[in-house]
Amino acid sequence: MILSVEYIRIAAYLGAGISVGLGAITTGIGSGIIAGEGAIGIMKQPKANDQLFRTMLIGQAAAQTAGIFALVISMLLIYGGFDITEGGWFRAAALLSAGLAMGIGALGPSLGAGYSGGEACKSVARMPKHGNAIMGNMLIGQALSQTSAIFALVVSLLLLYSVPNQPAGLNVGKILLKSISLIGAGMAIGLGTIGPGAGIGYVAGKANDMMGRFPKERSMIMRTMFLGAAVSESTAIYSLVIAFLLIFAV
Amino acid sequence: MELTLAQGIVKAAALLGAGMCMGMGALGPGIGEGFVAGKACEGIARSPENASLITRTMLVGQAVSESTGIYSLVIALLLIFST
Repeated sequence: MILSVEYIRIAAYLGAGISVGLGAITTGIGSGIIAGEGAIGIMKQPKANDQLFRTMLIGQAAAQTAGIFALVISMLLIYGGFDITEGGWFRAAALLSAGLAMGIGALGPSLGAGYSGGEACKSVARMPKHGNAIMGNMLIGQALSQTSAIFALVVSLLLLYSVPNQPAGLNVGKILLKSISLIGAGMAIGLGTIGPGAGIGYVAGKANDMMGRFPKERSMIMRTMFLGAAVSESTAIYSLVIAFLLIFAV
Repeated sequence: MELTLAQGIVKAAALLGAGMCMGMGALGPGIGEGFVAGKACEGIARSPENASLITRTMLVGQAVSESTGIYSLVIALLLIFST
């Protein structure tokens, strides 16, 4: 049977497509939001052209991070030595799940980073004098919202490289159980990062917005942003715990 | 542990369910808590003299919206360990 040796490659190629396909959706949307706000900002404040252009480019680069993670996972799935025949269904499930985890996991964080960068561009246009403080806050906020994408990357890499080969002589029930639990791990962390990523992006966006309106309250705004972002991160951490349990404790 | 195919399917469904449960369950609280914190940033910037009141309200609101995330965590752990 050809299929009995080829299913690992089938899973790896499917995972590669899913990863960068899904991951590109909101990365594109997020970068587009930032560029749009940057253009509007330059229209309103042509004198702050340089600063706005710089903020826009740096913001877009930071918003691309999760998309780049998805690209890396795709490349690893295609060229990382997974055209193998050993490992059984465990390997196939792990490779498909790695693609799912990173693809779905990139959706929330890049949308959040896009919103945050967009608000920063608006804010710089409103108050070019405080442009550097706003850009610093934008970068911190985008880093916070990318944290959950990093969780997805970690789970994805663990699924690629630390799932053991399927031992010989297992019965069908056990094989099914472990394979499906690996897919469950990818879904848990992938879906689990959407909310925190988007939520923290909203916090960071509002903080950037307010920093342009009330630059004197900078330290208060940053404090509230950190506190709020930490609380919204908690559900991503629960998802990470469940994903680890599904990979290592089942 | 010997498993029949039927037992394997049931347990596999429970584990996939655990993953989906925690994943989707984290969606709402994450977005909701982020929204609360964003509005709190706005409120504190507009009226910094009420910062402590606003922070308190933000934390209480986030705790309430966190509860569904914790329900999902509990159900996911139950599905993993007690089916």
